Amino acid sequence: MKDNIKELLQTAQDLRWEIGDGFHEQIMESLYADATRIADRAVTYPDQKPRFDLDRTIDNLVTSRMWGFPLMILMLTLVFWLTISGANYPSSLLSSLLIDTVHPLLKSAVASIGMPWWLSGVLIDGGYLATAWVVSVMLPPMAIFFPLFTLLEDFGYLPRVAFNLDHIFRKAGAHGKQALSMTMGFGCNAAGVISTRVIDSPRERLIAIITNNFSLCNGRWPTQILIATIFIGTLVPAQLGGVVSALAVVGVALLGVLLTFLVSWALSRTVLKGEVSTFNLELPPYRPPRILQTLYTSVIDRTLIVLWRAVVFALPAGMVIWLTANLTINGTSIAEYLVNFLNPFGLLLGLNGVILVAFLVAIPANEIVIPTVLMLTVLVTRTTGIGAGSGVLFELGSGTATLDILTRGGWTLLTGVNLMLFSLLHNPCSTTIYTIYKETDSLKWTAVATLLPVLMGIVVTFFTAQIWRLFAG
Amino acid sequence: MVNPLYALLIGLALLGFTGVLVWPDKGLLWKLQKRRELTEKVLIEDALKYIYKCERNQQTATLDSLAGALSTSLAHALEILELTQARGLLEMKDNCFKLTEAGKRTATQIVRAHRLWERYLADSTGFKESDWHQQAERLEHKLSEEELDKLSASLGNPSRDPHGDPIPTKRGELIPNSGIPLSDLPPQTPARIVHIEDEPEVIYAQILAEEVYPQMTLEVEEVTANRIRFWCEDQEHVLAPIVAANITVIPLVEESHPEVMEGVPLDTLEPGQSGVVTGISPRCRGVERRRLLDLGVIPGTEIEVELVSPGGDPTAYRIKGTVIALRKFQAHLIQVEKLENNLN
Repeated sequence: MKDNIKELLQTAQDLRWEIGDGFHEQIMESLYADATRIADRAVTYPDQKPRFDLDRTIDNLVTSRMWGFPLMILMLTLVFWLTISGANYPSSLLSSLLIDTVHPLLKSAVASIGMPWWLSGVLIDGGYLATAWVVSVMLPPMAIFFPLFTLLEDFGYLPRVAFNLDHIFRKAGAHGKQALSMTMGFGCNAAGVISTRVIDSPRERLIAIITNNFSLCNGRWPTQILIATIFIGTLVPAQLGGVVSALAVVGVALLGVLLTFLVSWALSRTVLKGEVSTFNLELPPYRPPRILQTLYTSVIDRTLIVLWRAVVFALPAGMVIWLTANLTINGTSIAEYLVNFLNPFGLLLGLNGVILVAFLVAIPANEIVIPTVLMLTVLVTRTTGIGAGSGVLFELGSGTATLDILTRGGWTLLTGVNLMLFSLLHNPCSTTIYTIYKETDSLKWTAVATLLPVLMGIVVTFFTAQIWRLFAG
Repeated sequence: MVNPLYALLIGLALLGFTGVLVWPDKGLLWKLQKRRELTEKVLIEDALKYIYKCERNQQTATLDSLAGALSTSLAHALEILELTQARGLLEMKDNCFKLTEAGKRTATQIVRAHRLWERYLADSTGFKESDWHQQAERLEHKLSEEELDKLSASLGNPSRDPHGDPIPTKRGELIPNSGIPLSDLPPQTPARIVHIEDEPEVIYAQILAEEVYPQMTLEVEEVTANRIRFWCEDQEHVLAPIVAANITVIPLVEESHPEVMEGVPLDTLEPGQSGVVTGISPRCRGVERRRLLDLGVIPGTEIEVELVSPGGDPTAYRIKGTVIALRKFQAHLIQVEKLENNLN
């Protein structure tokens, strides 16, 4: 018996050499061939294709040399315009409700029950206010942008965008579908990272995840617009101000797109060389979008999950911000120590200590960078009469008032420009970092995605500052 | 405030220094790591492998040739030989060295590790052909025998590496390579490539540039003293005999070569034309190949060119009722027989 088995194994071993390595595939091919033969016998197809093939007609239009790109730009502009103009009103409504109405109410409520000032400070001025800020800035645009995007996806248009743009992405070593995750990143990087799931090739997916942060997200647009308006828009006559500052913001966003390609190219040729790369892109048939279902899934899947993660991170951040501004050692707050410590390095980069501290404490949410900068500047310059006390985030209604505070904080045009650059090139927010970790399941790639943009930001602002100072005196 | 000019210069210097340090493959850090990996164990194993190959090819390994193969000095090579001998892996006989039984066993395991790694790199990673050998040279020293078994099992216990070399079994059995060098193949005899030697690198690079791979079929058209002209995969290739000698082929028996590829690459079809798949080139392997098979690209499937993207690449094909876009280089690997019956 035992000998028999040995003999059998030996025979099997010998046969292995004979049949070679291709047999897995031959078996697979014959399985497929059998399946096809059976299907051909059993399945009948409607005799003729309809004479007017709608899908083919739409495809020929949206992927044509002449109309493909203009149509794509038109669609995306429409989506962005709807998002921006549609989000304005609910955003200010939410902000006046949560920040201007509920916040004072809460304050007076806890005062009446005799809560100590430091506890109400941490909870309400710190935790609540930062969360309210993030929700009011983030929720409306996401609730509009994501459903619109999902509708286009459901209709079947987005895969055609990937099809049109693939040859550009291919040159950068990336997948055409990265166009979609990149666009999604303009709404929210965390959602952009999740949307890379549509890329089924491991190497290209990692590239898309790591470079998603170069898409200027919803939390950073307001910073860009504000700084461009008060620093760059004021350089030209008033009637041109709007256009020039808008161009500056678009310029920064385009720089982000350019860096996406550059970094994708470099990654695919160096650290990601060994990852598996495949390509295929299905162009599904067009179908009428299922509006209600789309609304439901995009609100639940994308908006609420992302919002929830943001809230989870913003709440403690708000508390930390309040504490650093109010805990004092020898009469000086921790925030001031930090600002003074980081100031020399900040100035070397053409920024300042306040900005670096603001970016540090605002890692959980880019939305609160500007409020934190304002609060810290007031704190450090010991200005009185502006804001609502140390540690309380605020924003000012008018651009000139904001400019006044910032100039008092020692800001110049260079500071403004470099802040815009650094806002594009710094670590992703903690929600995105956490999402990257969830999606890649790797500390290594999470670290790369987090640190690479900061390093690039430091290098870019440093060189901008030195060259600026050389030529502008 | 620091003088901007100085700061700029210091910044540039730092940037340059970092570049020199971490530049991929050429940076100092990488070189340092490579040197650190070159331990005694690695050198001994490399020496064993070299002598083993010489013995199999009935060549004599000399101290000179060993030093050359390990790219080290004569004195160092001698030192390594003494170490190997001290471990009982090598013995001196009539002034030339010979592997002991233990030495042979160790050497086969290294060869096994090397070929398994090459198989792994080819099937499960995105590294290119030209990177496999170098990577495997490093990796072959890193796994224990048990880990090797696991690697082998995870790859489906392959019997050959991607160049067509047999992989030794766990017990060290190794079938000899059959076949003849391409330079000895008589003209007008269809034959299949069974092996392509990946050393030396210069010659391998020339073969890679011709885009011929194991499992492809070819036919020699003309042999002269300084060139061999042959037809492989619808293309004519010309190689010097010394290069062609590194390609091993087996002549196909007359009645049994159904695998001879016929037809044209899919990417040559125009929109509206269609074809029936006759095969996928052996160059397409691993995940990439499985994906194509999953999509239904198997012999007998009809494929129609549906759309070309505005940039000219990729192209969308109708395969089994779905529209799938493939890039040009992928479509190039799919052979189809063109159908002429298209009326539209």
